[in-house]
Amino acid sequence: MKSADQVPALSRRGMLRMMGVAAAAIPAASTLAACGSSDDSGTSGGGKGAATLSLAYLGDASQQAAFTALFAAFNKSHPEIKIKANGIAAGDWATFASTISTQLAGGKKYDIVDVATEGQLLMSSKGVLAPLDEYIAKDKAVVDAYYAGIDPHLHDWTRKYGSPDGKTYFIPGGYNSMALYCNTEVFAKAGVTLPASDWTWDEFKAAGQQIKAKTGAYLISTGDGSFPFGDIMPWLLTNGTSTLDADWKNPTLGSPAAVEAATFVKSLIDAGLAPKIGGTFDAANQFSKGKLATLGGGRWPTLDIRRLNLVAKTTILDWPTKAGTKGSPIGWDGWPILRASKNKDAAWTFIKWLMTKEASEFYAQVGGTNIPALKSVATSQAFLGNAPKGSELLPAAIGFGTPIPSPKQGAATQKVISAGWKNALTGVKPVAEALSSASEQLRPLL
Amino acid sequence: MTATIPLDRAKRTAPDRPRHVRRQEWAGYLFLSPALLLFLVFVAGPVVAAFVLAFYQWDLLTPARFNGLGNFSKMFHDPLLYKALGNTFIFTAASMVTHLVGGLLLALGVNRLKNRFLSYFVRTSLFFPFVISWAAVALLWKYVLDPTFGPGTYYLHKLGITPPNWFVDPSWALPAIIGIDFWHTIGFTFVIMLAGLQTVPKQLVEAARTDGAGEWQILWRITLPMMSPTIFFAAVVTFIGAFQIFDPIQIITPQGGPDNSTVSIVMYLYQQGFESFQVGYASAVSLLILVVTMFVTLLQFWGSRRWVYQA
Repeated sequence: MKSADQVPALSRRGMLRMMGVAAAAIPAASTLAACGSSDDSGTSGGGKGAATLSLAYLGDASQQAAFTALFAAFNKSHPEIKIKANGIAAGDWATFASTISTQLAGGKKYDIVDVATEGQLLMSSKGVLAPLDEYIAKDKAVVDAYYAGIDPHLHDWTRKYGSPDGKTYFIPGGYNSMALYCNTEVFAKAGVTLPASDWTWDEFKAAGQQIKAKTGAYLISTGDGSFPFGDIMPWLLTNGTSTLDADWKNPTLGSPAAVEAATFVKSLIDAGLAPKIGGTFDAANQFSKGKLATLGGGRWPTLDIRRLNLVAKTTILDWPTKAGTKGSPIGWDGWPILRASKNKDAAWTFIKWLMTKEASEFYAQVGGTNIPALKSVATSQAFLGNAPKGSELLPAAIGFGTPIPSPKQGAATQKVISAGWKNALTGVKPVAEALSSASEQLRPLL
Repeated sequence: MTATIPLDRAKRTAPDRPRHVRRQEWAGYLFLSPALLLFLVFVAGPVVAAFVLAFYQWDLLTPARFNGLGNFSKMFHDPLLYKALGNTFIFTAASMVTHLVGGLLLALGVNRLKNRFLSYFVRTSLFFPFVISWAAVALLWKYVLDPTFGPGTYYLHKLGITPPNWFVDPSWALPAIIGIDFWHTIGFTFVIMLAGLQTVPKQLVEAARTDGAGEWQILWRITLPMMSPTIFFAAVVTFIGAFQIFDPIQIITPQGGPDNSTVSIVMYLYQQGFESFQVGYASAVSLLILVVTMFVTLLQFWGSRRWVYQA
């Protein structure tokens, strides 16, 4: 049986053309969608000379500035390679992955797409990425040095979840974890001492009750579940469970530990320690006004904290735990080269440059929204300077972190998880029923 | 003797139109071509593509596979599709009733205003929400009805009413969106009705009044029958627009609301196509929407023969 690679292929663009001209031609054209080019050898395609790379990344207006500076810095080192970047302001990574998939299906050509965990399995299993193994072999010294400098988890997880056929499709980049940004002024005003290190859910809730009574501020904004990385995963992981098992094959959202976690979060809302779900609570804004004591997040809130001049008033702490089991979701960038790229060599040059300490430090300094993959940079002033006290806990969380579950049907899975969590928190259904019902809906998607 | 026209002459006769007529024809085609091109690219093309894709399984990234009638048979066993259709019909029915009745009453009321300034002010005020984008309207109402900080919630509490958590309660999410849709689009129906009112011949009304007809009788016997073509037009347009509702639901309740209580059929199509990557199935759903819309519209036209007054 021929593989997709071997089938004489029409391009995706060709398929669209045929659909437009004669619908009847579809059967003949339908073996091609993923095949922009039959050339998937790593080192072919594109010379080493001048090239313009087409690159897509997730980024709203605030992130685009940092990315633009990063690309400009690369261009300074490699003036022969221009980058035409497309920042897609998707609300989350699952939506970003869907957007990119739609664009690729529509014939859009990218050389590189910054793919987070949520889209890595989807893209690597659909044949749209070029294997990087030949490039890695060619620049073994550079890549080995890079892997030696990053947390081994990143390398292992990229292999486990981003290489369904054993080939390498991604070079892992920066990552994010979840921690709590605490407004020290609110805590001080309420007479609550911030814990030196770990704290439990009960201690956290007790602190919230005191804060509410003394200052009227909310303890935390729980979110409505539409952002599972921040709204759901920290609570599950600090109770020793997750939404899916480690292989992302079976749902665990209906487990007793998950029900316990959701019940606790619901109790925060019911007690008035978190705003009701269904509104437009602006957490960053309320945090700056002293009306919210803690703000959940990875590296990205640091940008807001800086903008609002709150660096000195903020301390980062690990997420409270149910009974001492630390946990944090981890999501990381993966840098692939698209199979249809005609500029693979130039694209690899860019990815290789991203692996340098120079690039990592630069991105951290200009306001990158993730934690640098290189440990030496994540523990340096490039990352820790002008950042809240406790920022070193963000990279440290990878030691006990869990990859954010990201099966192929990421967007559909996320929708079910979010809806189930929301139903549990809002009392639409009893917590256990809401989560077990969502769990059942997840099965056919995995 | 029968006169005959030679065949070659007959052939020549048809195209032998004056040059200025042919030039006008070309000019007509030229003016038509941009619209025709846009229609082919953005309407006809996607319709053909949807029709073809409905017979395939396609996840956007890997090759499409022929699936025969699989997508259509799947629709019969898809409970969420029924839920989405049910929600959409509820929304559409509510939208039609509120818009047609509300629009007509508002038009009748404004038409009776004697003060010209007041009349223009009310007309503008009623139409104004319609010019605001759905995104802005959705966010505005999400803020107004915020369960914690919303001014709407605040004033309802002041009146001693404890409002529900509108967009979280499955019983209230769809009614809330119906209400917001009414606020946003009633201006359009109102303007249509107001225009329809201007077409009612004044001499008929005067004659009826002279004959001793009361206001109620004039409304039932003169105004409404004379306005029936306008009401029919508004009914068709409102149905088609309401059946395709998507924007406010996607913005206010992005996951389809609590317990899928606000999932509309177009939103379901979007979810299937761009979240679950089942483009073939989504295309089949799009054909279902086309068929339902066409069927109901034809039904409206068929029914119109019984109540629409044709001058």
